[in-house]
Amino acid sequence: MNRQSEFHAYRDIEKCTKDCICLYVCPTGATDTETGQVDFDKCIGCGACINACPSRALLLLPRIYPEQQQKKEPVLNVVRSLAQSKVEQEKIMDNIVKNANTDAELILAKAISKSNRIMAEDLMREGGFLLPQSNKVREFLEDISKTNDEFSVQIAKKLMNLLKVSNDEKKK
Amino acid sequence: MAKYVCSVCGFIYDEEEGIPEKGIKPGTKFEDLPEDFECLWCGASKDAFDIDNDQGDKKEENEQKDKNVEVEDENIVKSEDGDLLSKLSYEQMSALCSNLAKGCEKQYLTEECTLFLELAKYYKDKAKKVEDCSFEEMEKLLKSDIEKYKDANEIAIKYEDRGALRSIVWSEKVSKMINSILKQYNDDKEKFLNGKNIYVCEICGFIYVGNELPKVCPVCKVTNKKLHKIEGGVINE
Repeated sequence: MNRQSEFHAYRDIEKCTKDCICLYVCPTGATDTETGQVDFDKCIGCGACINACPSRALLLLPRIYPEQQQKKEPVLNVVRSLAQSKVEQEKIMDNIVKNANTDAELILAKAISKSNRIMAEDLMREGGFLLPQSNKVREFLEDISKTNDEFSVQIAKKLMNLLKVSNDEKKK
Repeated sequence: MAKYVCSVCGFIYDEEEGIPEKGIKPGTKFEDLPEDFECLWCGASKDAFDIDNDQGDKKEENEQKDKNVEVEDENIVKSEDGDLLSKLSYEQMSALCSNLAKGCEKQYLTEECTLFLELAKYYKDKAKKVEDCSFEEMEKLLKSDIEKYKDANEIAIKYEDRGALRSIVWSEKVSKMINSILKQYNDDKEKFLNGKNIYVCEICGFIYVGNELPKVCPVCKVTNKKLHKIEGGVINE
């Protein structure tokens, strides 16, 4: 097989109105799939489908994402400490959800629990883990795989096999 | 005549103009607004509003702030290296993994998404359990967060980290919204919902109480398709 292209096409299912012009302009048949999504492996990133689509439903996505910004320690400390507080609040709300007496109490606690989880996720993401393919995430998974905790080790190893690191080349 | 700005979404109440379409006459002082006054955009209560200082004042204040932040030598402030796990709690690892699952889902990486979700759940279960079971306990943490945001903002600005600053700004606004909602809940208790629904923004965590969704999330400005209704009854994961 040829060297993989830098980009591959992606179909925005919400915009696609099945005009199906992509089917015949595609040189490799990557747009003709049962799932409705482009076959990323077959796609050569030529952009023919994108230029032909009247619904603007196709676009190019990078196969390899740019390396993420270096994070400074004071920034990491502050976002992670906020994230920790949010997950603590999530736990308290989960307790309320389990013991709620009124509908108002239940729904409110559920909402605040979810809200706190989303804030914690977003803060952690900016705490150095922007992309699943980043070196930082690789480091995280590697560290997990070195522990004695069988369950998480297995999952971390699987993930390391699946996810390509953005600047693998540079590391070597 | 002064202007007051909503700390959650930026809506400005101008005393000079009032809000005639809501029956608030021009010239109505902010303090004379009814106690149950709600922000027109996001629904935050009156106490989420701050007086809108003149831009000039603000600038001066910021300059003052810059001077107050301790200056550390760029070379001394390291980026993080090594031994990640010792720096992260199980809770943080769980949030990290559930967020990476979202990132994978977005890229259509279904298998990776499932694996990260498994890890997220695993670490969540491993985390220390808490006994606290009241809104009051949570409010204590929330209030202490709200006090931390000023410094947090300054640090992100100082190290020119736009991404971190964005997440800090959003979570500050959402925290203030939660604070405002809790106040309304404490005042009204069971009558708090009163036929209204609660929605949570999937992107930033903003909580909306009401039935007329704003067109975009007042905090992160994503389309309101991302504001999901919270259902009662069964516990949803």
